[in-house]
Amino acid sequence: MVDKIKIENLSCYYNKKCVLESLNLNVVKNEILGVIGPANSGKTTFLRTLNRMNDFDITYSRKGSVYLDGDNIFDIDAENLRRRVGMLFAMPIPLPMSIYDNITYAPKRLGLVTKKVDLENMVESVLRDSSLWDEVKDRLGASAMKMSGGQQQRLCIARVLAINPEVILFDEPCSGLDPISTAKVEELMVELKEKYTIVLVTNNVKQASRVSDRTAFFLMGKLIEVDKTDKLFVSPKEKETEDYITGRFG
Amino acid sequence: MIKLNPKLSQKFSYTLLCFAAILAIAPVILMVFIIIKNGASAISWEFLSSMPKSGMCVGGILPAILGTLSIVSCAIVVTLPVGVCAAIYLNEYAKDNMLTRIIKLAIVNLAGVPSVVYGLFGLGIFVMFLKLGVSIIAGALTLSIMELPVIITTARSSLGSVPYSFREASLSLGVSRWQTIRHVVLPNAIPGILTGAILSIARISGETAPILFTAAAFYVPHLPRSIFDQVMALPYHLYIISTQIPNMPKNIIYGTALVLLMMVLTMSCIAIFARIYFRKRRKW
Amino acid sequence: MRKVLDFIIEKIIFICGTVSIIFVILIFSFLFKEGFSFFKDFGVLKFIGGHFWYPSSDHASFGILPLIVGSVFVTIGACAIAVPIGVMTALFISEIVPKGIRDILKSLVELMAAIPSVVIGFIGMITLVPLVKSIFNLPTGLTAFSGSIMLAFMAIPTIVTISEDAIRSVPWQYKQGALALGATKWQTLRRIILKAAMPGIIAAVMLGIGRVIGETMAVMMITGNAAHIPHSIFEPVRTMTATIAAEMGETVRGGMHYRSLFAIGLVLFLITFLINFVADLFLGKNKNT
Repeated sequence: MVDKIKIENLSCYYNKKCVLESLNLNVVKNEILGVIGPANSGKTTFLRTLNRMNDFDITYSRKGSVYLDGDNIFDIDAENLRRRVGMLFAMPIPLPMSIYDNITYAPKRLGLVTKKVDLENMVESVLRDSSLWDEVKDRLGASAMKMSGGQQQRLCIARVLAINPEVILFDEPCSGLDPISTAKVEELMVELKEKYTIVLVTNNVKQASRVSDRTAFFLMGKLIEVDKTDKLFVSPKEKETEDYITGRFG
Repeated sequence: MIKLNPKLSQKFSYTLLCFAAILAIAPVILMVFIIIKNGASAISWEFLSSMPKSGMCVGGILPAILGTLSIVSCAIVVTLPVGVCAAIYLNEYAKDNMLTRIIKLAIVNLAGVPSVVYGLFGLGIFVMFLKLGVSIIAGALTLSIMELPVIITTARSSLGSVPYSFREASLSLGVSRWQTIRHVVLPNAIPGILTGAILSIARISGETAPILFTAAAFYVPHLPRSIFDQVMALPYHLYIISTQIPNMPKNIIYGTALVLLMMVLTMSCIAIFARIYFRKRRKW
Repeated sequence: MRKVLDFIIEKIIFICGTVSIIFVILIFSFLFKEGFSFFKDFGVLKFIGGHFWYPSSDHASFGILPLIVGSVFVTIGACAIAVPIGVMTALFISEIVPKGIRDILKSLVELMAAIPSVVIGFIGMITLVPLVKSIFNLPTGLTAFSGSIMLAFMAIPTIVTISEDAIRSVPWQYKQGALALGATKWQTLRRIILKAAMPGIIAAVMLGIGRVIGETMAVMMITGNAAHIPHSIFEPVRTMTATIAAEMGETVRGGMHYRSLFAIGLVLFLITFLINFVADLFLGKNKNT
């Protein structure tokens, strides 16, 4: 059990209003950590702090530290951090270019892969990893905007895999998808944890119970409870957790 | 006062509004029609491709056409990159602070400065202070400053119409801000920027006052040879032959007006159609 | 390497971003430099309040009051025509016609804006001026009145475009609410939408005024260019812009006359600066509602 990410006393604010209060949490290597909680509980803020995407929001400020493999992420280069900590958004956001270009976009810009042969091999391998290869291998030049929602989200996963990250953050990745596509993405997440560490924010309690190894419950900007998923769902320690997972509120 | 039946009053008001719209648009269509009708007979290959002769009463307007084209193309070459960079700064980098507010105010005011004042400024700074003389380059620089606010505004709105999520997707992959702009935002904003540029070219082709003391000459016996030459320009030529030369053959004046009008309207039409086309096949 | 390149490019972008400020300052200082040295020689009050504009006589007099009055006459006349027509056209385009026709009309208005002012001036000289002369039985048709009519056509596109934006940015809920209460479309339009869009429409009118005051070529060709204080709009007038355009060619560079034209430019610059500043305030207000 090695801690991949260690969060110490993290507090986040928008316009001085506290949305996440002195959070202490760790993410174990090669696990899926599920984060559940009702709207406005600070889940997304938490996730976007982990790869510093919140830096672009001028109303945002924070206190505390987050360690990735022992390095404080606020001290290292943000662009390099984002390469190591990939992110999936709630709605699939393919870039307006071909499927092939979507995947090669970041590796080219970052100078990770340059030779054409290597690029082609890389595209095939990440598309296989995101179980999209069979569906799109004949139309890699087609616009990514024309794919179905589920395919787009898996393309986005492939795009993240292409930068070879260590951690992948999923921000409610299935909220715009139908049940079949959701099942495929969930299956994929379970496969991916072999190689990557995953943090999954979801407002679908059942999804967390299906895929995550451990689950954390956030409420009003506070971490109420974190435990092994089967434990948390069967015998939660806190009253609020029980109320939430049994559907009494949220 | 009698209270009108609301239905009737609506009908009456709608008719009134329709009438106003006709009053606004019809006279301009009529103007264009008059120029086409009277000018068409003057248009010939010779008129477009030869030098003016005998005090401009015969011959063509080639030097004026070429003069305008050279001033305008120099102007756009200068103003487009600067304007697009300024738009990128405002749309992508600028924070909501005092400096940004001053920049926006400056743009609004540049847009409102009268064209003849730009002419004065161009005379003061380019012709006199920088000693460029009355020349293509002095006129082009004057026009480029005048067009800057228009280019910035249109470029900014096309950058702004690229969804923010594309930037997020790119940034979340560790790609830097500038690379994101260069490879994701700009390619998707280019159609809008170019449309704006064409509209600007159309507009400055017809401008007279800014080049009056900076570039235009009454008559030049040869075609423009370098950017430091004084040139004839189409709008200035039209002004001269319609007001300063008595007994000018009417069809030459109409012909010149027609050429200028068609140049401007064709470019504007291209820009408008291009905008409609790109909007329709926009990918998001 | 990549980082250094990014850094340099971002600095260039920043410089371009501030270039507008630099130009505004440059324009002001060049006008001010010449204008100020003129004021020192002639006096501001004599300049603004003087009744006589005889720049090239032996006892030169540089009073721009007739030019100011000329500009004001033409501007008021043009606005009296352009504002009602422009605002009504904007209402017509944005609220009454179906979408297909709306797009065509908007494109037409945009094309109107592109017509060069020399062309407008030329057409005015040939068609309107003789007409005005014969209808009103005047010694000349080159009057403030003719200028106003032609300039109205140049202000209309500005007024239509910006008012139309303002009208269309009124939240649709306002309209739905009023219609749901049983108001007719016209009542909704007049009582609700027009009121909500008012700041934007005022801004449109101000920018239209700015356009008319700054207009040069058409004015110079149609208004007759007589530098005296007019008694009615059916007399020839000379505007500030036309004075600069017409006389700069004959001046001695650096001379009194030359500098006086820069002083007029300074006055024009300050007027339009003020107009645009106020218009911008109104536009900002429109966006907040």
